[in-house]
Amino acid sequence: MSANGAVWGRVRSRLRAFPERLAACGAEAAAYGRCVQASTAPGGRLSKDVCAREFEALRSCFAAAAKRTLKGSS
Amino acid sequence: MLRQARLWRLWRRPPAARVLAANLGGREVASGVFPLGNTSPGALNIFDRNLKRKQKNWAAQQPEPMKFDYLREEVGNRIADRIYDISRDFTLALDVGCGRGYIAQHLNKETVGKFFQTDIAENALKNSLETEIPTVSVLADEEFLPFRENTFDLVVSSLSLHWVNDLPRALEQIHYVLKPNGVFVGAMFGGDTLYELRCSLQLAETEREGGFSPHISPFTAVNDLGHLLGRAGFNTLTVDTDEIQVNYPGMFELMEDLQGMGESNCSWNRKALLHRETMLAAAAVYREMYRNEDGSVPATYQIYYMIGWKYHDSQARPAERGSATVSFGELGKLNNLMSQTEKSQ
Repeated sequence: MSANGAVWGRVRSRLRAFPERLAACGAEAAAYGRCVQASTAPGGRLSKDVCAREFEALRSCFAAAAKRTLKGSS
Repeated sequence: MLRQARLWRLWRRPPAARVLAANLGGREVASGVFPLGNTSPGALNIFDRNLKRKQKNWAAQQPEPMKFDYLREEVGNRIADRIYDISRDFTLALDVGCGRGYIAQHLNKETVGKFFQTDIAENALKNSLETEIPTVSVLADEEFLPFRENTFDLVVSSLSLHWVNDLPRALEQIHYVLKPNGVFVGAMFGGDTLYELRCSLQLAETEREGGFSPHISPFTAVNDLGHLLGRAGFNTLTVDTDEIQVNYPGMFELMEDLQGMGESNCSWNRKALLHRETMLAAAAVYREMYRNEDGSVPATYQIYYMIGWKYHDSQARPAERGSATVSFGELGKLNNLMSQTEKSQ
């Protein structure tokens, strides 16, 4: 880490906002979680992008939440 | 046949320091200290100890170290309980990987006369917790204890041996510095620790990136622990397990707490980067698979407590073969037998 830790502090503060934005997207997160859990059941196969659609929904919801909080704070 | 027997004995007994100095080609070995240079065959170099020292130093000099101490405090308390259960007083004790001294604060002057605290991070030793026992802080690595043979009556270690590269050697060192009839009380993380985090990261990484790399360090299994302690020379082993479940608001808070405890990953084969998308995916999977009714997510810490004694003639030994006076077949009449012996005494 650098002397004053400016970059680390900035990245960390961005990361600290993740939990509340994730809380705002509870439904999409639950859908994604269910999809991944279903692929681990006997008979399912977990490979790359098996739940890509659910994750895209989660990601766009997350980005929208980020934009909302950014607009609200500025 | 005789030659083989002699070779076997040489391998079993750790060589004397003077002999080893000759073999090292003139290199000076401090007499009385555990002989260097003979790492166990197949010793792995899994963890970057230098990085672990930096992480522990960073964790110890944070503005609010008490915030992340809850787990270590609890385990330190339980180890102190076990020390009180041993009906003996110890004049000299050693704490290996003490952190801020979580065990010493629960013990009193009568049970332990003097306490040596060792850790690899100097910031942790500087901010040590208050205790009424006189302590000496020594900066030492768990694998290279700078003490003579047969020094300590009691050695304790709480939640620091899981970052040691060569665990057999560390346990042998602990056995070495113990006095005969000395006892080692230790606590280590077990195989089920943080399994929810491990599974969530694994699934999310496989789904998002197509493969996964280990993010949780490997832990010792309970059978291996018994073997390791036996191999190090301890007698009368006791190993029991305990599970502490801590609830967190979410995966990010758990990871932040782990970093605050100084438990960040330091294995050589760690991935340098954890993508934000993967973290997001893992948090979603964690919440969906493991959440409690109130919305929090649990994290399991499985702790193995181990107690081992160094051999002494006064310790109980298994009886000689053929010295039984009562047969197992008479087990049903045990009550009669017991009252008979009471009457005769």
